[in-house]
Amino acid sequence: MEKREDEGKVRVLIEKATNSTAPEVDPRLLKAIKSVVRYSDSELRLAARTLMALMKRDHSQVRYLTLLIIDELFMRSKLFRTVLVENLDQLLSLSVGFRRNLPLPAPPAVASVLRSKAIEFLEKWNTSFGVHYRQLRLGFDYLKNTLKFQFPNLQAHAARIQQERSERERRSKEILLNKFEMLKENFSSIKEEIKLTIDEIGECLDIVCTKEEFMPPGPLDDEDFVEFRSSELLQIRLNTLKEGGKVRENSENKVVFDALRELYKLLATKHLVSVQEWISVLVRVEVADNRFRDSVLKELIDIRNNLISVKKKCEESGCALVTTANHDEEDEDFWEEGKIGSLENGKSAVPDKQNEDISMASTSSELKNRTPESSNRDCNDNEMLNREDDETDSNPLKGKLMAEAPVMKWGSFLDNWGSSREVLANQRGLELESHWGRVDYNAVIPAEKIAELNVHATLYKEEPMEIQPCRAPLRKGGVCQRKDLRVCPFHGPIVPRDDEGKPLNQNSLKDEIILDSRIDLVEQLAKQAVKNVREREKEVTKKREIDKESMKRAKLAKIREHNAAVLRDAALASTSRSEAIGQDMEVTNSETSSARNKKETLSSMLRKKVTSKDRLAERLLNTRVKDATVRELTSGEDANYREAFPNQW
Amino acid sequence: MWKEIGDREAGKLRPRLFANRIKSNRVGTLQLSNHKDIVSPHRGSINSLQVDLTEGRYLLSGASDASAAVHDVQRATDYEAGGLIAKHKCIFVIDKKHERGHKYAISSAIWYPVDTGLFITGSYDHHINVWDTNSTQVVMNFKMPGKVYRTAMSSVATSHMLIAAGTEDVQVRLCDIASGAFAHTLSGHRDGVISVEWSTSSEWVLVTGGCDGAIRFWDIRRAGCFLVLDQSHSQLGRCPPIPERSATNKASTSKSLSRAQQRKLAGGNGTKQSPTTGMPTKGSVRQRLHPGLLSSQDRATAHYGAVTGLKLTEDGMYLLSAGSDSRLRLWDVESGCNTLVNFETVRLQTSKPIQLATTQDSALVFVPCMTAVKAISFSMAFDVWSGKTSLTFRGHYEYVNCCWFSSQEQELYTGGNDRQILVWSPSSLIADELDEEQAQDQDNWSD
Repeated sequence: MEKREDEGKVRVLIEKATNSTAPEVDPRLLKAIKSVVRYSDSELRLAARTLMALMKRDHSQVRYLTLLIIDELFMRSKLFRTVLVENLDQLLSLSVGFRRNLPLPAPPAVASVLRSKAIEFLEKWNTSFGVHYRQLRLGFDYLKNTLKFQFPNLQAHAARIQQERSERERRSKEILLNKFEMLKENFSSIKEEIKLTIDEIGECLDIVCTKEEFMPPGPLDDEDFVEFRSSELLQIRLNTLKEGGKVRENSENKVVFDALRELYKLLATKHLVSVQEWISVLVRVEVADNRFRDSVLKELIDIRNNLISVKKKCEESGCALVTTANHDEEDEDFWEEGKIGSLENGKSAVPDKQNEDISMASTSSELKNRTPESSNRDCNDNEMLNREDDETDSNPLKGKLMAEAPVMKWGSFLDNWGSSREVLANQRGLELESHWGRVDYNAVIPAEKIAELNVHATLYKEEPMEIQPCRAPLRKGGVCQRKDLRVCPFHGPIVPRDDEGKPLNQNSLKDEIILDSRIDLVEQLAKQAVKNVREREKEVTKKREIDKESMKRAKLAKIREHNAAVLRDAALASTSRSEAIGQDMEVTNSETSSARNKKETLSSMLRKKVTSKDRLAERLLNTRVKDATVRELTSGEDANYREAFPNQW
Repeated sequence: MWKEIGDREAGKLRPRLFANRIKSNRVGTLQLSNHKDIVSPHRGSINSLQVDLTEGRYLLSGASDASAAVHDVQRATDYEAGGLIAKHKCIFVIDKKHERGHKYAISSAIWYPVDTGLFITGSYDHHINVWDTNSTQVVMNFKMPGKVYRTAMSSVATSHMLIAAGTEDVQVRLCDIASGAFAHTLSGHRDGVISVEWSTSSEWVLVTGGCDGAIRFWDIRRAGCFLVLDQSHSQLGRCPPIPERSATNKASTSKSLSRAQQRKLAGGNGTKQSPTTGMPTKGSVRQRLHPGLLSSQDRATAHYGAVTGLKLTEDGMYLLSAGSDSRLRLWDVESGCNTLVNFETVRLQTSKPIQLATTQDSALVFVPCMTAVKAISFSMAFDVWSGKTSLTFRGHYEYVNCCWFSSQEQELYTGGNDRQILVWSPSSLIADELDEEQAQDQDNWSD
């Protein structure tokens, strides 16, 4: 007895596992099946038999789940494989449905999944076990070559990708090797070239530096120092001194500077980049003799360091080089991204220049021994500008300002934004001399006028605002989707609500209302009370109605049941037609009841959606059937009784 | 098996008995061979299969795409999967591209029974070609009046080399290779002749089955057929043997038929002992003396519908026939009676001729039943015949048309509409490749 129970176990498990609408087999059940089957050959055979029987079931979902279990076992057990391949053609025709007289059963969506899965599994099985099972090879070959099924070809796909990747790697390696060979050949010449450039730069710098020595730094008065009290000013002064210490470009050493600039450019754009590249090539390349590579790498790194140091030196000595370069860059930025940030940058760049000018001026003023007031003022200006720079630099502050700043469209008026200069009227435009009479070159447009001309008119654009739906709960379920700005005509003022439609913060709302107007409150409360009462009444009546209806329905169902039973009994005695009617009614009954509880089952997957047409047809048919039955049965012997109780014969 | 070898060693078993036991054991374990693949070059359904009768080595196949191919079933051309799978590619193939090849489907391809130097193909293009195997050239060509359904040559013939051809035409024609002309035209069928077989015991006796459902026996030395099998004329069990045997002794010298029989016995293989009882009594003497049959007998049918397959057992005593009525019948050749063997219900292909095969000891018949091949054992127990399906070979994905049993290696070859030629071989007894196999194909329980 116990053994028999045990034997049935796998069958029960499998049937349980396949009786589901889920797209996967319940992993716990699967595990249980596997563990049962693992230790017993007879169970395994039984499982194979059961699974094959289930594959014949007229439902794609059952077949699909069965196929999933089959795959699990197939990949694991040899015995299962040997048992299953015996009937592989049957399995395939049931899962792929390639025979025309045996198409896959009902839910078509699941059926297509089943087919694709079966094909995929067959390919997998064939690649893993095809060598050992001729049947697998045959089946695969038949589906592929005779029926021309498209297999996913997973393995070949993976292999192809792998091959592509290796190909790419090989090619890049080749390229690297080629580069390495080129470097091997040209290394000495490259080195020569770089060395030449460095030497030239060194010479140029030498020339510049020797000139520098001719210009001793200006004498500094201690009194001046005393006057600068704040450390900031001191700093500025030191900077300016340093600046002054540098060699300025002038007509005398212009040639040298030009050469230096050119060499610098060459160094920065060509040599440094190429050396970097070579280094990366050397790091990545794989060659037989590492000695050469290592030595070259070492040399290259040295050269790079040398280059960087020279570059630094250049930058230190020829500040002009750097600044011009910087300016260029900034200009580029300016044009590239027409944003506020870059505008700010541009603006800050301009003061920079001013700053420089001013500092230069200040140095000259020091030399000239200017009056302390003026220098002080200058310095104050300076400080302000500095601070402005600081401000633009310091991020939080900038962010704050940016938030406040108006957003303007780009326009030419930004050229003289915030300036209070007067503009010469006749400086621009046609340069025709006294064509229409005398030209007053000194004619000036006053600043106010400029400002007036620059007044910018913009159209007010409404910000696109998401209008929230009302979301008040509806009687039929769901929430109101009506979108109004303030007040919904059906549900009152729009307030934030949760998913079910309940207001989130009623209190605050009330408070607001109270704050708004106290007079309103009373009125509203009264209204609310009335409404509440009415609603309650309505609810009660509705409930009563529902109760009544359900009672009626129950009664009707009872009557119908009774009728069906009577009909069936009658059918036993009378024609086959009436029997069919009885069944029909039963079917409809069961259908409605199952539809009512709305539980998803395998049969519900099979059932077609009932359209209104169907319903109409059904009703027509039902009435006709009922009429027929009534006519048929009233002709019986207990007709009188029936007439007396038309609903319960 | 070891016990049997021991018995044989001790002399308890006769050599023939021993061999037969081993063979039947092997036949009982036939299954789809994993180690032997015949790579089919055909692109149409395979209609005919035959291994040559001399060496038992070359498999001739004829297919619907007008191609015929020869495979060496003993030596593989190449190996796959580390020598596990032996691939047998065809030695040569003749198809439509051959300048004298057939235009339409080849329905029948047979070896010349004496050696492998010739083979014969019959085709739906109304021609029978005789091919030289070594040069793959047509050496002879017969134009038939209609589609050729089946050709046959007698494996026991010593005095003639006739090709019997069943065609769309009602007449059976015998084509003489020696002269290159039609030797006989046998008329009697009322519809096309689908199946043709020579007797395995007498070189003069031809059996034909037609679309009219009749199975006729012809003695080619005489005009007309001498026997028409009647499905209603039946016997239970065996014919009472004693009077027959006495008749044999009496008739042995007088009848020319029995002379031929004896000549055959002298030159043929000595394995056949039973035909002596079978042959001389074939048909009653009285019946054969009449030039024509009684009209009532002449209209007898063996099957409802066409007779799609015929196969004489190796000893020539019994005839198996398959019909489009999905019946398999076993006939006692001596008496011409239906033995009423109750073959388990099979479903047969109805539209095409099928090729049956029997084992040497005639205990099993291999019948193509739709997509499967069934091995049906028929035996007599307590004087009652029984036919039970002993094995079912499922491997083809479409209808199976033909099968051939190679008694030398106890291998079954089947060909079907899915263009495959499958080899069914006894499962190997020795576990030499088991260890190799176990390395790759074993249980793999991860949890």
